[in-house]
Amino acid sequence: MAEMTLFHYIHKNTVLHRMDGRLKLACLLLFSLAAGFASEFHDYLVPLSVLFCAILLAKLPFTTLLREMRFFGLIILIVIVVNSFTIPGDPIANSPLAGISQQGVSTGLRFAGRLLIVLLVSMVITGTTPLMKFRDAVEWYLRPVPFVPEARVATMINLTFLLIPVILDSFREMMDAQNSRCVQLRKNPVKRIKFLVFPLIDQTLRRADEIAYAMEARCYSEIRTRTAFKCGKIDWLMLAISLAVFFFVLL
Amino acid sequence: MPILETRDLTHVFPDGTVAIEDIDLKVNEGEFLVIAGPNGSGKTVLARHLNGLLKPTRGQVFLNGEPISKNIIEARKNVGLVFQDPESQIVGQTVAEDVAFGPENLNLPVAQVEMVVKESLAAVGLSQLATRSPHALSGGEKRKLAIAGILAMKPKIIIFDEPFTGLDYPGVVQVLKEILRLHKTGHTILLITHELEKVLAHADRLVIMHKGRLVADGKPESVIYRVEEYGVRMPLRDGEKVEALTWLK
Ligand SMILES: Nc1ncnc2c1ncn2[C@@H]1O[C@H](COP(=O)(O)OP(=O)(O)O)[C@@H](O)[C@H]1O
Ligand SMILES: [Mg+2]
Repeated sequence: MAEMTLFHYIHKNTVLHRMDGRLKLACLLLFSLAAGFASEFHDYLVPLSVLFCAILLAKLPFTTLLREMRFFGLIILIVIVVNSFTIPGDPIANSPLAGISQQGVSTGLRFAGRLLIVLLVSMVITGTTPLMKFRDAVEWYLRPVPFVPEARVATMINLTFLLIPVILDSFREMMDAQNSRCVQLRKNPVKRIKFLVFPLIDQTLRRADEIAYAMEARCYSEIRTRTAFKCGKIDWLMLAISLAVFFFVLL
Repeated sequence: MPILETRDLTHVFPDGTVAIEDIDLKVNEGEFLVIAGPNGSGKTVLARHLNGLLKPTRGQVFLNGEPISKNIIEARKNVGLVFQDPESQIVGQTVAEDVAFGPENLNLPVAQVEMVVKESLAAVGLSQLATRSPHALSGGEKRKLAIAGILAMKPKIIIFDEPFTGLDYPGVVQVLKEILRLHKTGHTILLITHELEKVLAHADRLVIMHKGRLVADGKPESVIYRVEEYGVRMPLRDGEKVEALTWLK
């Protein structure tokens, strides 16, 4: 996981990196909605080109990201192919492949377009937003919601993201350790899973316990210093662009 | 009056393990105390009572003569605990954010949090790495980050639980220097370790734990000759003095 660039924060000093997390979260929402509402060809073109500009603006390593998106490319391709063949409709004239329908192809392409928009917007957001900004923004939106302890939610987001790489690491290490003791000779998959899952859960709980103690030792409290948000004119401009894209698609 | 004191401190875990039993320990202000003992002798459990993380089954802990159970937050602010595994102490995505965790818990104003973070990072020499991810740091740097996170709470007493575990030679030297600097700036230091050869020359006092009990307590040069009875490696060779026991040249 650590070797991947995709969906990881990439530290740069650009407008998008400095942008207020709250407005960024709103932009994320607008683009996702736009992806849902899009129907005509230009409905896809506009958000996609805006996102493309955003990637350039954020100075994200485009070629590396493209390479790591191969997997999603495959999924998108499968979506298009499956749709083309399975959705009934008028056959395409002069097509060398039998069984493809016009309706199928266009539905497939729409699906692919939506997926691509969501992928790119997630890429831009994760690439330019450190987790703490994202967490602070979520906390801010939760403040007016009654009965939701926003500080606790924020801490939970934090800990979850903190624990995931740790768990993955210990998973990989356990696999290696068991492989070096020839676990592959065991034919019973249930046993093999048992040898992995139970120690992993055990280790994770122990780890979580230690972290909880360490947090308590540093006086963990839900009444804590609140983040100061800063949002400038450029941040509002970004939101305006996102709104424009959204309404363009909607109308 | 001792700054920190335990009386009859006993902890029995729910599964019946008696982790520590009848510990009477007095720590004076400004002291540098080394606590040694083999694995499982109860050192970590004792440390976790001193700032109220664990509640005693019997007995009490006193900070400046007051039972810590009266004001647990005060105890946690005054008694900083640096965990054995620095990984478990890291809660921030960046070095600076991690150091800010404590002062933010104390609900200090934003400007003051920033100031404390700057000071603490500067104190351990990590200012340059403030925006880095903690997981990208070296072992010694991680340990220093854990120390900075504790310094941000402005404790008077700092407990180090096996601070040299897993460090290479430069890492040990870095951390040892940091601990000595903290002692010099007026902090009371409790250092848990069984690697006496690395640090004992700097200690005022040596305490040995064995099977949950405090079995020896006194000047390093007198207690040192009894460590082997209790499962700690005797670090002195024939004719060597306690002053030789340091990894600082
Ligand atoms: N959560 C727990 N439940 C039961 N027994 C424990 C627990 N934590 C520690 N112990 C036991 O308490 C004793 C002292 O442990 P500890 O203080 O961690 O030793 P060390 O001196 O190595 O730091 C050991 O026998 C250990 O097995
Ligand atoms: Mg221990």
